Amino acid sequence: MTEPPEVSEEEFRRTCDFLYRRSGMLFTEGKRYYVQRRIAERMAALKIAAFTTYFAFLRSDADGEIEKFINAFTVNETYFYREEHQLRCLSSDLLNERVGSKRPGQALRIWSVPCSTGEEPYSIGMWLLENWPDVDAQDIEILGSDIDTECVNAARRGEFGLRALMRLTPDLVAKYFVPSGKERWRIVDDLRQSVQFTKVNLIDSAETRRHGVFDVIFCRNVLIYFDDTSRRLAAENLFECLAPGGFICLGHTESMSRISPLFEVRRFADAIVYQRPQGGARD
Amino acid sequence: MPLVRRPSLPSESPAAPAGSITEGTSEQRWAAARAAAAQPDGVALLAKALSQERDPLVLEAIFTGLAAAATAESAAAVVPFIRSEEARLRAGALDALRAMPEASRPHIGSLLADPDADVRLLSCELVRGLPEAEANRLLIDLLDGETDKNVVAAAVEVLAEIGRPEALPVLVLCSQRFVGEPFLAFSIKVATDRIGDP
Amino acid sequence: MTEPSGKRILVIDDANLVRRFYRDALEHAGFQVDEALNGVEALEKVLGAAYDLIVVDVNMPQMDGFTFLETLRRQAPPVSSLPALVISTEAAAHDAAAARAAGANFYLVKPVGQELLVEHVSIMCGLPT
Repeated sequence: MTEPPEVSEEEFRRTCDFLYRRSGMLFTEGKRYYVQRRIAERMAALKIAAFTTYFAFLRSDADGEIEKFINAFTVNETYFYREEHQLRCLSSDLLNERVGSKRPGQALRIWSVPCSTGEEPYSIGMWLLENWPDVDAQDIEILGSDIDTECVNAARRGEFGLRALMRLTPDLVAKYFVPSGKERWRIVDDLRQSVQFTKVNLIDSAETRRHGVFDVIFCRNVLIYFDDTSRRLAAENLFECLAPGGFICLGHTESMSRISPLFEVRRFADAIVYQRPQGGARD
Repeated sequence: MPLVRRPSLPSESPAAPAGSITEGTSEQRWAAARAAAAQPDGVALLAKALSQERDPLVLEAIFTGLAAAATAESAAAVVPFIRSEEARLRAGALDALRAMPEASRPHIGSLLADPDADVRLLSCELVRGLPEAEANRLLIDLLDGETDKNVVAAAVEVLAEIGRPEALPVLVLCSQRFVGEPFLAFSIKVATDRIGDP
Repeated sequence: MTEPSGKRILVIDDANLVRRFYRDALEHAGFQVDEALNGVEALEKVLGAAYDLIVVDVNMPQMDGFTFLETLRRQAPPVSSLPALVISTEAAAHDAAAARAAGANFYLVKPVGQELLVEHVSIMCGLPT
């Protein structure tokens, strides 16, 4: 086995700078080992010996190289209670703040987009039932949407394998799932019928508008794959789908700072989230 | 279970018919700017609104509409704002031009030759998005006669990402032209090291 | 390397080489340095850690330096009163005036060498120079 090529600090920085500018993904010092390893892996896979050659290849996005590079950091595979800190932020801060702006009987609305095969929106439902003291006093609507109709159909079925459940305690699995064949589990009907699924293309404003206005949107690991214009359009569509004062949560390597200046930054104990300003304009 | 079951989506009121981008509340102007792209004379409407709008959110929507149109006309409408006296407008214009690289491309040559050093400086960022060979050629031409230190610094910053060996002679030239300027010496060294380190 | 000053500085500039140059100079003079690439990222940083001073450029993507400063001044204390050194390329009077209006405490014109930078940062942090 050949050793992967060494990647210097300088090369790490150049790569981070480029990826940030191109995708909005922000790799901090803490991610350095993973980025360096990923560069080495891609160079080895492509049989490229010199960093400069690889960097030129990455820049030109030949053969979808940027997506291949960053896929390793977003992990297409989803599982229940992924990025639990954001769920904690939802129940300890975000919803409490949103409740204050609701008329009596007006539901809190939460959108998971893209929702993939449903792990995230179901996780949000489970998490709130388990962890938000106000859950019985408020009406909560949860919606999951994805551009891929196969994902949407799978999400509606609500059947999952063992890997998706790895973060859940046996108690939670027993409470919210029923066995459904060999190493398969299905979300209990009550929860399944409480989460609604739709198809949506985030850069199509007619489609996003049909979904109404939300208090919290989870939009993880998708904007980084868009080009500049699509990202701007998606950010503006999401902005319109948020109530004034509503929140948007991105993936852990994503920063709104390269995506859009429309939102304000809020830092809570468990997560950084972005907020649609209360007024119409920023100032 | 307290979660609400909803068999269907709330029937949303359709988007209000778009009014004028230059009149009404900021919400109305935002909606009009967002809707303009779909109209036949949308670019002209957005271009007109750009020169009058003060609200940062509406401005963002106008710039997005122009960037999404990505036509010669929309790029031409944005270009003059690179020389705005307002930092916010300069940043917005540059972001919009970066988002429509093909439409911006014909403007880059003249922007890099602009008599205003600040315009040349900001335009270096647009070069970053071009294919490497073309980008190197443009920056080499610029650096060959450039006398403003900050423009040189901006061009070197881009060369540090995409520079090729053909840029090395002009970097040497610049280091001789600006002796005693520590930041330029540092930048040129980093760029040179990167280019020369295959 | 000088003794650590105990002061933490946030350098905000979209140019990679500018950030590195400032960082090297300031770290060499004993400051602890973090970086941000534009105003939005800077806001994330200042809300998450205590800084003694901000060094900020004007022309940046997404959120320019002045918009950043105006937003900063609207935050809750102590973040709202963070001293800010603006370093920009424009010597034009309108930018200096705009910097003051936006809440800058001091304004320098690029390019800035190590000595000038360290001197100003030290003074603004209340350190002997």
